[in-house]
Amino acid sequence: MSRAELGPVGIYHRVVVYLLFAILLLPLLGTFIYSISSSWSATILPSGFSIKWYAQLWSDPRFLGAFGQSLLVCVGALILSVVLILPLLFVVHYHFPKLDALMNILILLPFAVPPVVSSVGLLQLYGSGPFAMVGTPWILIGCYFTVALPFMYRAITNNLQAINLRDLMDAAQLLGASTFQAAILVVLPNLRKGLMVALLLSFSFLFGEFVFANILVGTRYETLQVYLNNMRNSSGHFTSALVISYFFFVLVLTWAANILNKDKSE
Amino acid sequence: MNSMTRGKWLAALCLVPFTLFFIVFEIAPLVWVMINSLQSEEFGWGIANFTKIFSSKFYLQAIQYSLEISFWSSVFGIIIAVLGAYSLRRVDSKLRNFVNAFANMTSNFAGVPLAFAFIILLGFNGSFTIMLKQAGLIQDFNLYSKTGLIMLYTYFQIPLGVLLLYPAFDALREDWRESAALLGANGWQFWRHIGLPVLTPALLGTFVILLANALGAYATVYALTTGNFNVLPIRIAAMVSGDISLDPNLASALAVVLVALMTLVTVVHQLLLKRSYHVSR
Amino acid sequence: MSYVSVQHLQKNYAGTTVFSDINCEIQKGEFVTLLGPSGCGKSTLLRCIAGLTPVDGGKILLDGVDIVPLSPQKRGIGMVFQSYALFPNMTVEQNVAFGLRMQKVNADDSQKRVADVLKLVELHDFAARYPHQLSGGQCQRVALARSLVTRPRLLLLDEPLSALDARIRKHLREQIRQIQRELGLTTIFVTHDQEEALTMSDRIFLMNQGKIVQSGDAETLYTAPVDVFAAGFIGNYNLLDAESATKLLQRPINHRIAIRPEAIELSLDGELDAQVRSHSLLGNVIRYRIEARGVELVVDVLNRSAGDLHPDGQRLALSIDPTALCEVA
Repeated sequence: MSRAELGPVGIYHRVVVYLLFAILLLPLLGTFIYSISSSWSATILPSGFSIKWYAQLWSDPRFLGAFGQSLLVCVGALILSVVLILPLLFVVHYHFPKLDALMNILILLPFAVPPVVSSVGLLQLYGSGPFAMVGTPWILIGCYFTVALPFMYRAITNNLQAINLRDLMDAAQLLGASTFQAAILVVLPNLRKGLMVALLLSFSFLFGEFVFANILVGTRYETLQVYLNNMRNSSGHFTSALVISYFFFVLVLTWAANILNKDKSE
Repeated sequence: MNSMTRGKWLAALCLVPFTLFFIVFEIAPLVWVMINSLQSEEFGWGIANFTKIFSSKFYLQAIQYSLEISFWSSVFGIIIAVLGAYSLRRVDSKLRNFVNAFANMTSNFAGVPLAFAFIILLGFNGSFTIMLKQAGLIQDFNLYSKTGLIMLYTYFQIPLGVLLLYPAFDALREDWRESAALLGANGWQFWRHIGLPVLTPALLGTFVILLANALGAYATVYALTTGNFNVLPIRIAAMVSGDISLDPNLASALAVVLVALMTLVTVVHQLLLKRSYHVSR
Repeated sequence: MSYVSVQHLQKNYAGTTVFSDINCEIQKGEFVTLLGPSGCGKSTLLRCIAGLTPVDGGKILLDGVDIVPLSPQKRGIGMVFQSYALFPNMTVEQNVAFGLRMQKVNADDSQKRVADVLKLVELHDFAARYPHQLSGGQCQRVALARSLVTRPRLLLLDEPLSALDARIRKHLREQIRQIQRELGLTTIFVTHDQEEALTMSDRIFLMNQGKIVQSGDAETLYTAPVDVFAAGFIGNYNLLDAESATKLLQRPINHRIAIRPEAIELSLDGELDAQVRSHSLLGNVIRYRIEARGVELVVDVLNRSAGDLHPDGQRLALSIDPTALCEVA
């Protein structure tokens, strides 16, 4: 289908792709250079190189605290997601397949409704009173669950359909397993790869979430993104080192997801 | 029969925790927003909030800016994404996989980090600004203006556009191209009569998603302008978590306006789809 | 002079040679089939003639002019694809008119020519339908109409019937052949189905691994295969090496022999030195597996009456028409 083309047409396509790559790379590259330069103001090139900004960053307790809190919230949200979504998916696909259509509409909601809009309601409902959660990591974990929901649902649904859930369950039950046993021993192991990829991708997405973190919690439980924003007034080099560190972390995660994905298709 | 229904009841029970969390964190806030958009402190029930919004120059400007920025960034974004996705399919697989993976990763770069990166490069003292000024290409570039925002938004629309459009080219079969060539059509004629019409549903769908993405975007513009630019998401957030003028009801009304805009765009998209031909699946 | 002349054509792909020296001549108005197993190069050869795949050497002369340097748009060749390749965003009428539009034929002429060709393929009631509303056979007829309306000099068909079910295939075979005869259109047809090749063609080019193994009319190819491959591909030949042939015919034979299963007669009179091992009923033909003088043979007998049905184990006499013995390489 897509054989590499030779001749002038092929060159055009390669140029376009390189251009695309360059456009996407530029801000990253600029930030990276900024983070390793000792000073760079009002000139085209930096005046010197140094890694002192990274050293400063990684020894800052506030940064490490924010990083840790981001990790906690994201991991917590993902654990919650797995605990809620896996049984849901199994039940829907095995017992109530008609619900799948409804589910597909429901999971559109976190996409269709911007986080800003939800935040208005969330602040009022859970800002005070019996369900007060605003300002604590708990509300973040709950909201992040809704953010991760579409990714996780779709990824695992595709996986379930690929492994032909009904046939597997029927075969297992004919061999004597109860529904529960079959689910745990037969279906779950087959979902492992798809689940890992979904988790990694959701994690990188959640790690970069800012809206809920800033509006609902802000500095009371500072996540990495909020910390980044709060540091805007410090040296540009420092914030660059921060941005690059964050991006590198996410890069490793998506790279791992990519490897797993390719592995799966073999 | 009994054990089956019992099984089904147990299964239904498994749905409860999920439903609970979903209602608490997704449905309830939405419902609250919708109800309270119709409530105001002075006038009780009614559309007072909406009247206020649509008769205020300030809020109308927020709506206008939101629409302008979203529209232009989506247009530029989709043009670049179409050209990029098409060429991406026609280069060798090594280059293709690499750039694909890279585009995937840069879609995570949006929000605060992206805003900062742009400030570094294109802010008042940014190295790009200096370079372009020295080359005499621009006089005065203000990143923190509408134009700057359009550029910034276009940037994060591109990876999303490429991601969405790349599989759409699957619909274009190679033998249509060959058939058209044998019937006398050159490259342009093929695209004009067959290629673009076949791609139109995917293009429209992607454009709508890009529009919705831009309309609801908050992090990027907040980080760039410290919450000082007049677009809908900023206005909404300012009224519930700012230091001054807290008015959650008005915020709800604005939120409803925002969602209505997004719905309008989706409805127009569906109507346009119906007018074009139907491809069998 | 031949209308189509392929000379020393060479094509390499991904480091392997698809074909290195193909030569063939086709006369004007002839219906020629490229027949062979998957991977023999027949579709590649067709695509080279159409200009959809570049060649690495050699010439292709169409009406005396080498078309290798020409783009597909300029060759004046029509082609029907296995997957129909109908443009999904256009109606049947618009699909068929597309080539005329590219030739800038005016609207009235175009409308008339489209209507005429749609009548020819018996689809003029479907002019306003879209491809997804048509069945496979109807799609293929539209594809045929679309390639005919531009009055091409040469028509190429790349396994056009492979995706259709048996009954439609038979009907379309006849229709294509009939239209081709009416128009006197030089046609090259590619298939791996020997029955299709035998029923439709004036001449057949049998291909294997990038070479034309044998060419000739249906009768020649069927009754006189030149080598083991040809004998194995066309029909259901019994292939005997020299030793088995000697045993069977009871005279010294020093080459391989191919015998058609229907050329062997079975009867209950004479020396009963053959025995039925098994049989299967193919409808109008009964296929026997016979062992005769230590040699295994397949024999086809027309299922005319109960007398033709012999039970397993039955001893029979064989007789073989000497002209049906084919020496193969």
